[in-house]
Amino acid sequence: MTAARPIRWATTVELTIATPEGVLFRLPLASPASRLYAMLLDIAIVLGTVNGVGLLIYWIFAKAPGFGVMVITLGEFAIGFAYGALLEGFWNGQTIGKRLFHLRVIDQAGLPLRIEQAWTRNLMRVFDALPFAYLVGGISTLSNPLMQRFGDRVAGTLVVRQTPLVAPAEESWSLQKYNSFMDYPAMVIKLRRAATPELASLIQDALRRRNELAAYARREIYRELASYLQNEISPFPDELVEMLSDEQYLINAAGVLFGDQRLSRVHG
Amino acid sequence: MILDLQRFQAQARPRWSSLESLLAALEGRPDRRLNSVEAEQLLELYTQAAADLNRVTHGALAPELRQYLERLVARAYAEMYYVPPTRSEIWQPRRWLRIFTAFPETFRRQSRYFALAVLITVFGCALGGLAVRYDPASVDVLLAADYLRNPRQRVHEEEEGKRGDQHSTQAEAAFSARLIRHNIEVAMLAAALGVTFGIGTALLLFENGVLLGAVAVRYTQQGFGLFMTAWLLPHGVFEIPSILIAGQAGFYLARILLRRRVDRDMRQSMREWLVLIAGMVMMLVWAGMMEAFFSQHHAPVLPYGFKVAVGGAELALLTVYLLLIGQRNSGVEAHTRVPAENT
Repeated sequence: MTAARPIRWATTVELTIATPEGVLFRLPLASPASRLYAMLLDIAIVLGTVNGVGLLIYWIFAKAPGFGVMVITLGEFAIGFAYGALLEGFWNGQTIGKRLFHLRVIDQAGLPLRIEQAWTRNLMRVFDALPFAYLVGGISTLSNPLMQRFGDRVAGTLVVRQTPLVAPAEESWSLQKYNSFMDYPAMVIKLRRAATPELASLIQDALRRRNELAAYARREIYRELASYLQNEISPFPDELVEMLSDEQYLINAAGVLFGDQRLSRVHG
Repeated sequence: MILDLQRFQAQARPRWSSLESLLAALEGRPDRRLNSVEAEQLLELYTQAAADLNRVTHGALAPELRQYLERLVARAYAEMYYVPPTRSEIWQPRRWLRIFTAFPETFRRQSRYFALAVLITVFGCALGGLAVRYDPASVDVLLAADYLRNPRQRVHEEEEGKRGDQHSTQAEAAFSARLIRHNIEVAMLAAALGVTFGIGTALLLFENGVLLGAVAVRYTQQGFGLFMTAWLLPHGVFEIPSILIAGQAGFYLARILLRRRVDRDMRQSMREWLVLIAGMVMMLVWAGMMEAFFSQHHAPVLPYGFKVAVGGAELALLTVYLLLIGQRNSGVEAHTRVPAENT
């Protein structure tokens, strides 16, 4: 299975991977800003840890401050590299900062990060940090379609956004018990056959964003959509339509397009 | 045809939840080995989720659901095609100790890049030395520090013990740490500059060589050749080769990047680069300690002959280590023995 060589298409914000089974999926790439915030947080954590441990070491080596300085100097240096490499290598491609900002380092083929990749990208920081404040790494990230700094290019890795997602909940508008459109099977069939996925999605989105729209905008959008459906797609009888608000018209239409097969129940 | 999203989701939701649970369990384990039941379950759920994603992509415009399924399929795909390291490979200390033999093996296998690093450094040394020898005006440019430009005062102070305050164990410990840190930073930069296709590595090695040559000639010119040899040799026999090995790693990285498209085993190449760096770091830790605790002591505390002898012994041991330890053959067989998670 390791022979899998996915095809990749990169856009400015996402990477599309085609698996050997022919499935396409997109991975959203992390923006440079979110990576910067995660890095600043990681730096704060490392500095905090080093200083906290440093105070303890100074106390332990109170009578031998030179050794205290030695331990702190080397410890700070080692932690600076090992923090990222070990956490990313053993913690699913994430440091604490990356986890909090929902970022993850992965192999550029879409697979989990390997330990040697984690070490490589972190050791390459000495180059990316040049000449100051990660200027080289920053320019590399901004100029690369996969938003990779040089460490990522060498290690063959990239940073993706990994916001926790849950399956979308059932739409509230789909739960209505009675849909008057179902009493007109010919019109229902016409609507189902004529509506394109784009139109169906537009209706769905308009209903889902009901509370995000200003009242006047909502009225206008619903009126235009309902008029279009009524006039261009499937003209339900006037006596029915006159009794429905534009919003109810769209809810009924969405029920026809996405809901259960109530048509069969009416005529069953 | 428009997908009946509600019915579709109602039917598919249980298997998506099963896949999510399985993935969460797998992602929490560093070794991620699947038993046969888990493997079958993962394959089945992955295939179904992939089919669901295809249906949503082509049958409906449901961006949130599509995004959710893409994430699910991406996670499942990663687990399907990822060959994880075993727990024993990660945690077995003996495996990590293999670095002590893997380093000299890798050093020998990539020795041509070491030869290139030596060549550039020697060229720099020669130029630096010749410049100081034949162009006195260049001394101020090449040797900025006063103690390098005018060694007489430094040697006098050292031999008179006037710098005794710097030779306490405490001061030496702190000095040692600063040296180790600085040297590792410079060496790692040389190794990382391989990303400039080796040009940066070559420039850094050349600069280092020029400085070394200039110092050597300046001290010898002023009659402090023995002092300088005794001063540099105990730590230099590790420090200079480790900088050369950093150069070797840099040129090797350049080769990896140039041959990336045709290299069938990038992971192995990357591992060798890391092994070279790990070995170089170990050498620099030793060099830093020697420089702080040993090299800075001069005659009459430590006779120069003794210091040179210690340096010579270190050099002999290092040579034996780099040339004789580990597998002697540097062919394919040895190639596979570098510490790996999956081999």
